[in-house]
Amino acid sequence: MWSRRQTVLKTLALASAALLALGSQAADAAKLKVGITLHPYYSFVANIVGDRAEVIPLIDADANPHGYAPQPADMIRITSMDVLVVNGIGHDSWAFEILDAAGMRNKLTLIYANDGVSLIPVAGDPSGEKIVNPHTFISTTAAIQQVYTIARKLGELDKDNATFFRDNARRYALEIRKLRAEFDAKIVGADLSKFRCATMHSGYDYILQELGLQVTAVIEPRHGVEPTARQLAETIDRINAAKVNVLFAEKYFASKLSDTIREATGVKMYSISHISSGEYTAEKFIDEMRENLTTLAAGINDAAKSGS
Amino acid sequence: MTTMVQQVRPAGARYEGLALVVATVAVVGILALYVHERGRDNTPEPLLDWQISAFDGLTGADQAIYNSLYTVKDEIPFIYDDINRFNAPGVKFHWPNLQDFQDWLLPPFYRDTSWQQNGSLKWSLFEPLPEGEMQGSTMYLGTDGQLPGQGSFLLVIGHVHAGFTNNNAIVIWWNAENHVDMPQSGFRDRLILQGWREVVAYSGDQEVKRIFGENGEDQRSEQEIEELLKNALPTEP
Repeated sequence: MWSRRQTVLKTLALASAALLALGSQAADAAKLKVGITLHPYYSFVANIVGDRAEVIPLIDADANPHGYAPQPADMIRITSMDVLVVNGIGHDSWAFEILDAAGMRNKLTLIYANDGVSLIPVAGDPSGEKIVNPHTFISTTAAIQQVYTIARKLGELDKDNATFFRDNARRYALEIRKLRAEFDAKIVGADLSKFRCATMHSGYDYILQELGLQVTAVIEPRHGVEPTARQLAETIDRINAAKVNVLFAEKYFASKLSDTIREATGVKMYSISHISSGEYTAEKFIDEMRENLTTLAAGINDAAKSGS
Repeated sequence: MTTMVQQVRPAGARYEGLALVVATVAVVGILALYVHERGRDNTPEPLLDWQISAFDGLTGADQAIYNSLYTVKDEIPFIYDDINRFNAPGVKFHWPNLQDFQDWLLPPFYRDTSWQQNGSLKWSLFEPLPEGEMQGSTMYLGTDGQLPGQGSFLLVIGHVHAGFTNNNAIVIWWNAENHVDMPQSGFRDRLILQGWREVVAYSGDQEVKRIFGENGEDQRSEQEIEELLKNALPTEP
């Protein structure tokens, strides 16, 4: 009798487990599969969707997004996506090559994260030309705008979760804003009038503008395109004349040029992250922006202590 | 020995040349008409006299303040919902005030270092009146900036149902004057007469259209793409 009861219970337990597994599989199958091209977008989407969608990076974490050559695995990945979040204004041109190669150009829904961002020109272009700066994600306010755009568009695709996505976007936006408050606490009492900075390239224009920090000189306004000897000499003169005391350079990619500038001018160099390498994680954007703002605060404090 | 050359004119010589000219004109005309009707023009809409571009019309602190306001206009409706969600019956709904913005750490209103660096604008709120011309109007005015040459800002939340403004949009205005008083009307034409200019963003969707066109086809040359890739990310050592 006991054995029979045990068998019945065991069967019921197995049936329940099977039903739960089936239900879970069905839920997974219904989950939106959201592709992303760049590391910040992984963090944005992961924080917006929580566990109600799957986030799929289009390229491997260890790939260098600069001049990326599409791989066969990318084409397989892209066919599994319901939607792809792109920068679309200059950082992920290779995503469109992958779309074309996979025959998905007019089939896959794209979310252009920058749709609602008010763009600014590249600072310090010697030609005086107003060229769009695509580094919108190295920022706080422009990043928040992108988070809202992505959340709204995902909500249009998955109406059942639209409110959930929007609430998460707002919560995440506040987390990003708190970074600004933390930054502020780090520079209390600093004399900002002594802070005069140059940057290696235009990647930090958005965040510096948001913080109200002016850039005196940009060494490579179109970075990757090194200045001529004459342009470099003029930039060094400008840095010396303006008594620039801080130089911000890229964290992950060393540049001999920055060493040359440092030696010729005596400026102190600080490294800022482009948030474009390493593992894809939900925390990455906040972590690296916090690190960037801490570096900016260190530059400001050191400049404030300097005699000039 | 003499050679005789005889020229034979085609029977339709008189008309062939004419037919060729007519056919050429027709082809060129049809193509011109097609381009005129169907051709793509991805250049942004030209601005009107009473508008100013945030991209290349504003600079420095004013551009930074505008860009913050541009994000704020998406957040204000959310905050409005939050602060009125638990209103007791009969309590009037209200738009966020300047203290609410402090609580939400919302630039350009939040008084932090960037606020100081961007000229310490003095912000004030014009709240809706229960009736009359200004019924339904909500305006946030930022003025008296401390930086040389700094202008003033006005964020107008329009309510067509109240007869206050031309549309339901949230519109951001800029005035070259450093000090201005709160306008007495949010109507576009009156603001323009008082020296206000609507600020127009150059937004990502316009840039995407410039790059890809309406149909999503890449409009750039190989050289432009190559340069863009160089610009986009740092160069490896």
